[in-house]
Amino acid sequence: MSAGLDVRPEEPTSVAELEAQVDSGAGRRQDRARLLLLVGGLAVTVVVTVLTLRIGAGGISTGDTVSTLWAKLTGTLPRTPEELRIQTTVWELRVPRAGLALLGGAALAVAGTLFQGLLRNPLVSPFTLGIAPAAAFGASMAILFAGGGTSSAALVGGALVSGILCAVVVVGLAATKQMQPTTLILLGIALTQLFTALTAGLQYIANEEALAAIVRWTWGTVNGAVWYQVVTLAVMLVIALPFVQLRSSAVNAIAFAGDDAARSLGVPVSRVRLELIFVAVLLTAVTISFTGIIGFVGLVGPHIARLLIGANHRYLLPFSALVGGLLLVLADAVGRVVLAPALVPAGIVDALIGAPVFLYLILVRKKAF
Amino acid sequence: MSLEIRDLEVAYGKRTILHGVDLTVERGRLLGLLGPNGSGKSTLIKTVARIVRARAGTLEWEGSPLGDLSRRDLARVVAYVPQSIDQSFSLNVRESVLLGRTPHFGARPRARDWERVEESLVQLGLSDLADRAVTELSGGQAQRVLIARALAQDPEILLLDEPTSALDLRYQLQTLHLAHRIAAERGVATVVSIHDLNHAARFCDEVAFLSGGRVLAGGAPGEVYATDLVRDVYGVEVDLSTYDGFTEVHPRIKPERTVRRTELVEVAS
Repeated sequence: MSAGLDVRPEEPTSVAELEAQVDSGAGRRQDRARLLLLVGGLAVTVVVTVLTLRIGAGGISTGDTVSTLWAKLTGTLPRTPEELRIQTTVWELRVPRAGLALLGGAALAVAGTLFQGLLRNPLVSPFTLGIAPAAAFGASMAILFAGGGTSSAALVGGALVSGILCAVVVVGLAATKQMQPTTLILLGIALTQLFTALTAGLQYIANEEALAAIVRWTWGTVNGAVWYQVVTLAVMLVIALPFVQLRSSAVNAIAFAGDDAARSLGVPVSRVRLELIFVAVLLTAVTISFTGIIGFVGLVGPHIARLLIGANHRYLLPFSALVGGLLLVLADAVGRVVLAPALVPAGIVDALIGAPVFLYLILVRKKAF
Repeated sequence: MSLEIRDLEVAYGKRTILHGVDLTVERGRLLGLLGPNGSGKSTLIKTVARIVRARAGTLEWEGSPLGDLSRRDLARVVAYVPQSIDQSFSLNVRESVLLGRTPHFGARPRARDWERVEESLVQLGLSDLADRAVTELSGGQAQRVLIARALAQDPEILLLDEPTSALDLRYQLQTLHLAHRIAAERGVATVVSIHDLNHAARFCDEVAFLSGGRVLAGGAPGEVYATDLVRDVYGVEVDLSTYDGFTEVHPRIKPERTVRRTELVEVAS
């Protein structure tokens, strides 16, 4: 076309040359490697979770915990008082505790991954839209006016109703006003400030006992976990994870191509964003109604997962679930060991473990998000 | 065998952006949309891609209304290349190109999708960069990734929204060469919005001048370019010439003479 400058990129000149250069297996090999990492991550998570079951008083070994789990799964009844004691301790106290940590961490990390991808912002977390402060406000109301103790129905109900109401306001406004991601984040910041102020007001009028209960709730913990909480989260995740996974290519298009280009790729952007934000806020609200505020896992879990498996949501979403679950299981285990017999809340340990891991990945691996 | 745009009207709220636009783009031809900022070029492209909804008018491809297609089916016919890549997180180049296959697969890509991705990578000279993060690429390389993504989409209509505005001269020429080649070799009806009249004259088979949301003139660059038209559209006086068989546009630039401070002092005294 022009005489002095050849602007053509290196390109094949015939179909045969094109076919010779195409390595059609490269993408599938990349997929297989990630699938392998996912399976490995699942195995590590299961093994670590089972290993943590031995932590605690009572001299219960890993062998005891595995035998108990096997006996429960096969319906074998305990034959001695000692077996009954071990089975009761493991099955009624430690498994629900580990289960709540595993599933709660998974739910928060999946929610964080969805928020970061759908709002195209690495700094957002499940709490960005004001859900956590709203839940804290609901929990504080329950503690003050309904006498809600740790994990009581009133406290869980107060936190859940308040968190979901906040989510409905955010999602409703987003739908009716067709909000852009930045506007949604600003709306979340405003709601965060509002609920934080309201909770501070309640703390101001609370007596010392209630104030201590409110503060304890905001630390976040899986102490006092019970089976119905584990089952509730398990049911939610069994429904939510496939729902989210089926939309992972749409999330990829929104996260990496932008709204306009995603629409041109056939993705109904507004509908997908609203559906998945609704799923994410529901997972968040239910989890923190059981655990209190555990913030770090939802922000950093997705980043750690992204650094290990890449940003493709097809693999990132399930891997985030594993990383989030593992983070919280480890945080709870460390919290039980480090100042034993005192228990350090998982929400605090979570940040203490997660932050250095996160810093290591950023500074040593130097990978861009 | 063409994209027919008839009496297209688009408005943002009460502000009408496009007023009764009529255009035809044949298969295998490259149409350049020309016009000043705010003339409606991007809106026209986004309306064909159904990113923006038309208030009135029709869009037809080979005699069938594009409006009858679902969003997903439309994405199998029309590909849109935005001005630049927008990523807060980094996919690698191969996965970025795979996004173009989104309308073709369900939950996960199949072998055919990966084949098309690899073919697009080879065709745009991106094979060596396939495992690199997109955020590590130069502007020109990133632009090629966007075009590869659109190619992987297997479109019959390709829309490029100011693809050269952020590129240096070499990449501008390379991008337009690619657009021309894709149109000619694959029989794709291609539309590119562009600011440089000389580049449009070199690479586009036809051009359309937009001003205030209306098409003022359209046709082969050599036939359409006129000093009066450029003055009406851009408010700039130009001279036209022919070089290497292509029309060239030369703005009449008269830089104001710089007055030295000493001269001002002399005048004042």
